[in-house]
Amino acid sequence: MPVDLAREIDVFEGQIELKKQGRIEDKLFAETRLRRGAYGQRYDNGQRHDGITHRSLSFPTQATKGTETLWDGPGMQRIKIPFGGLNPDQMDVLADVAEEYSDAICHITTRQDVQLHYVHIEDTPDVMRRLASAGITTREACGNTVRNVTACPLAGVCRCEAFDTTPYAKAMAYHLLGHTDTQDMGRKFKVAFSGCKTSSCGLTNIHDLGFIAKTWQSNGAIRRGFEVVIGGGLGAVPYDAQLFDATVPEEEILPLAQAVCRVFARLGEKRNRGRARMKFLIEKLGLDEFRRLVIEERKVLPPDPRWTDYLKDVERYREVPARPASNLDLANPDPQFEPWRATNVYAQRQPGYVVATVTLPLGDITSWQMRQLADVARKYVGDNVRTTVEQNLILRWVPEAELPGLYAELKRLDLALEGAGKIEDVVACPGTDTCKLGIAASRGLAAEVHERMVKRQKNGGIEPAVRDLHIKMSGCFNSCGQHHLADIGFYGVSRKIGGATVPHFRVLMGGEWENNGATYGLTIGAVPSKRIPEFIDHVTQRYLAERQQDERFKDYVARIGKKALKQMVDAFSSVPAYAVDRSLYSDWRDPREFTTSDITTGECAGEVVLQVEFDLQAAEQRNFEAQVHLEQGEFQKADEVAYQSMLIAARGLVRTQMWDLSDDPDRIAAEFKTRFYDTQLFQSPDAGQYAGGKFALYLLNRHADKDRQFAADKARHLVEEAQLFIEAAYSCQQRMSEQQARAKVSFGLPAAAEATI
Amino acid sequence: MDLHRLGIKFFAADADGIDILKLIPIYHRWIQQSALDDMLIDVADYSHVPAGPGVMLIAHEGNYALDETGHERGILYYSKHRLAGELPERFATVARKALRAAELMSGDAELEGALKLPGDRLRLFANDRLVAPNTGEAYAEIEPALKSFLDRLYAGAPYTLEREPDPKERLSVRVQAEGEVALKTLLERLS
Repeated sequence: MPVDLAREIDVFEGQIELKKQGRIEDKLFAETRLRRGAYGQRYDNGQRHDGITHRSLSFPTQATKGTETLWDGPGMQRIKIPFGGLNPDQMDVLADVAEEYSDAICHITTRQDVQLHYVHIEDTPDVMRRLASAGITTREACGNTVRNVTACPLAGVCRCEAFDTTPYAKAMAYHLLGHTDTQDMGRKFKVAFSGCKTSSCGLTNIHDLGFIAKTWQSNGAIRRGFEVVIGGGLGAVPYDAQLFDATVPEEEILPLAQAVCRVFARLGEKRNRGRARMKFLIEKLGLDEFRRLVIEERKVLPPDPRWTDYLKDVERYREVPARPASNLDLANPDPQFEPWRATNVYAQRQPGYVVATVTLPLGDITSWQMRQLADVARKYVGDNVRTTVEQNLILRWVPEAELPGLYAELKRLDLALEGAGKIEDVVACPGTDTCKLGIAASRGLAAEVHERMVKRQKNGGIEPAVRDLHIKMSGCFNSCGQHHLADIGFYGVSRKIGGATVPHFRVLMGGEWENNGATYGLTIGAVPSKRIPEFIDHVTQRYLAERQQDERFKDYVARIGKKALKQMVDAFSSVPAYAVDRSLYSDWRDPREFTTSDITTGECAGEVVLQVEFDLQAAEQRNFEAQVHLEQGEFQKADEVAYQSMLIAARGLVRTQMWDLSDDPDRIAAEFKTRFYDTQLFQSPDAGQYAGGKFALYLLNRHADKDRQFAADKARHLVEEAQLFIEAAYSCQQRMSEQQARAKVSFGLPAAAEATI
Repeated sequence: MDLHRLGIKFFAADADGIDILKLIPIYHRWIQQSALDDMLIDVADYSHVPAGPGVMLIAHEGNYALDETGHERGILYYSKHRLAGELPERFATVARKALRAAELMSGDAELEGALKLPGDRLRLFANDRLVAPNTGEAYAEIEPALKSFLDRLYAGAPYTLEREPDPKERLSVRVQAEGEVALKTLLERLS
């Protein structure tokens, strides 16, 4: 396991211990665990409506791990899979941890992550260690951070890409991971790479920062670079990404991303969670001003060799197939093979190789299947497996002649489902199954629609024009199911009918999955959840009957207009009285009488925690480690670690004024002295408490002691002093926050203006 | 061996005809009625996954399912927290929980008697590769406790054991006893 990953997990385990001792407040611990991918899950507040009444879940302890989250409430563990890239060893580990700590299901998300549900917080360090041993991190999978960097799953084998974006996506993911410039953002930040403009795989249009590959001639040579778009995003109100720069050379993409993150962190909204994504900042400032600020920021970034180091390997980057290329020339006797091949196989641009899609119903695969699939991958494709945003897995570099053998093996694993990317391959977020924000059962509905479509395809087939449609659904307006991009999209809402609550889905039509998700669907109206399948049947039949020649669904929707679409929806909007038909008053695959009372505060937005608060927490953690060294009689180590803990706290304070402070102890001590000791900012005005700058001298004196003679007593004293220094740093930070708040009130600034100070 | 993540699956006979979606309302009713000793939290529907965990009942202490792994349906329970007692008693604890759920489910009117659990076939597994990997050494270490538990369950009657050979899979053993035994009898032996 890489040392830095191991260290990170040790620190997180230490934070769990500190939380259990009551030494970290809820808000800080919540954001800390979110930044490790440990997310809340429905009912973890200890309350659940069982269909008759609200029930308190009597967990063994009443301790908390967030403001409304009980310690014992099982949660979701999100696991980042940069650009969706997986190898068989990683698949094995994912399968094992899902089996042992979750419910034996790996769930592939719409952003190429893997999620495990019903995981206990105390098991998360073991989960993380086992994943880290295979090179997987959960760091910054949630919270106000740079989320998983996604990319076309076909990158490198695609027939229409400009070039393989994989090494760029990988470099971006690891450059921004844990970077100091990405730690102080008010909201999450999503990055995507696409190899071309026309396909849908990268979905750059819905991302905060999107890179679309392009090449051009310069001085007789072919240059690589990207068209860069910014400020896209779905959510309740979807925004199209806007063109930031039509041509950014490859060597500029990492510093550009860093500069964008800095501007977003500095000026983005931190209080109003609903307006904190970068798209709102761009709207507020205007694209030109935002661009100007980013360009200015880029100019002052401290140079970093990592910006270009990776480029040396980009040209050489090659995936290694497990077997030589070969062409398929024999007919397969299995009658199910050709239908599967027609929908699930893509011919790579490399002759003799194909990509095979493993269709996963609702993105779910069992641990046993995942382990077996890992062996199949070893045999046929080696390390070349990826997750997709359509919640499937793909095997790349399959020799075409090996397809029948591969198909037979997939069939043995119940993984040879045809229809990848077709109407039956319904995409859905977790919805009310596990999400705290879910309004309606998106997975229940998705499973129902999926099974009906699969059945229909088996019994005579679905007309090709209909089968090519995309259906996507979300449990609420937050769009995790990417419903805006579907031909027919749905998101969960509720309606009061005669005093009872009825689950509904709002219908969107005419979204465009192609062209990187170029067009968002029109919202038409709401249909009761239980009537959605018949509504889909009606809409698709109307489309078949009324389409002109080869008219696409999107064009059909645009042609007939919103009024006609509304009539279609309205025809299905009626709900019989409760006494007549109770079935509409519960949701798909959940017989409880429907209620929205289980919705609680979501954790998508994370908690706004300033970077200095994380730094002080890290200092405290380091001091805790010093105490452990002390207990073990390691006096020199204890002394050194206690000193480091003070440096971490001091650096945190200085960075509130001087962001680009390095890790150099001399520089930290000098800046701390100038900015906090000499100015008396570190000293409390309250008599007695942290007075006289005495505690500041603990750091300054220790720093000046270059020829320190280590001794047990000195180490013990220093550990105590470091603890007091950290407490004083907390007090200082608190005073600064209060002063800032008072200053804002006295100036009478509106909330929206605060972030620009 | 400090092994607490343990599981057991009692295989059903001729259960393929059961509409697994019928379990969803049954589990919700169990939650309403606190029908099991565990603290029941929620229902997880994986009926769309072929040969998967079917429909699960999630409890704080562990997970219940009419599991379909290997296309063999059976009542599954596995623990997710520490169990009391020595290893044979821990096996007995997970078995009691599975049997209690099996008794309730097989008697549920919704299933109209379609779920039959002969009690003579089961799989026991260690759901913890860190503590008990699927090796000969680990098996040798738990074997005495395993046999002690099975002797108690089957009251000294003979049974055969078949270990899972794939080292990537969990340490598990398939047990075949001689002749059917009523769930009630098995429960009484473990009480």
